Amino acid sequence: MCLVRRQLDTRFERLDPDDEPDRDDRLIRELYEEFGGPLLRQVRQTTGNDLQWAEDVVQETLLRAWRNAPKLTWERGLLWAWLLTVSRRIVIDGRRRRGVRPREVEPPEADSIAVPDTADRTLASIVVAEALRGLSPDHREVIEQTYLRDRTVNEAAEILGIPPGTVKSRLYYALRALRAVLKERGVAN
Amino acid sequence: MSVFGESAHHDVAAYALGVLDLEDVQGFELHLAACAQCRVELEELRELPGLLDEVKSESHRTRQ
Repeated sequence: MCLVRRQLDTRFERLDPDDEPDRDDRLIRELYEEFGGPLLRQVRQTTGNDLQWAEDVVQETLLRAWRNAPKLTWERGLLWAWLLTVSRRIVIDGRRRRGVRPREVEPPEADSIAVPDTADRTLASIVVAEALRGLSPDHREVIEQTYLRDRTVNEAAEILGIPPGTVKSRLYYALRALRAVLKERGVAN
Repeated sequence: MSVFGESAHHDVAAYALGVLDLEDVQGFELHLAACAQCRVELEELRELPGLLDEVKSESHRTRQ
């Protein structure tokens, strides 16, 4: 059962919906109270600390959650995953609209794994970069062409010239392999 | 994507990274509701986006 739904059910069973003109406002407010802060922190990492943009993304994400509330029948963790997924899409779409990145001219073979310069370098970044380089070329490629370049599965499939289903299954085995290495090195739990 | 079958399980990785196309998200979430294995895997993969952010290059991420 979904958190929002369950909350709605428990919070509103006391009320006749027709007597609750502020019902929508309340649901939005509750979504904000529960998820607004953590979501904003996550989103700011992908908007480059552009706070205004991040706030817009959070607002749009929670609005979509509110619109989908009857369909979002998941427990808390899944709702959180849904919010992260949706917010990431909104950031990516926004970036595309802003034309921030010259995606089309970028050759797919260019290396998108970056170990930050000394000031920003963390142990995790070094370990993760090493782990990625240790993956098979096919596995590394799908991670690069999706997540690291902010592309969806279908976009990556088109660029790589392989079916979306292949991208998804490669990504699956790639992440399993990556996680196993990171776990072994104590970076992932 | 089928709700059952191996391909549905594989979607969990794209979903965890937030790169699953929106039209596939709802189908996967239906699968997720019925598949305990995928819920466990989703939990296991949850850290990976944050870890991968460590190596995202500046052209793809303008973190200060």
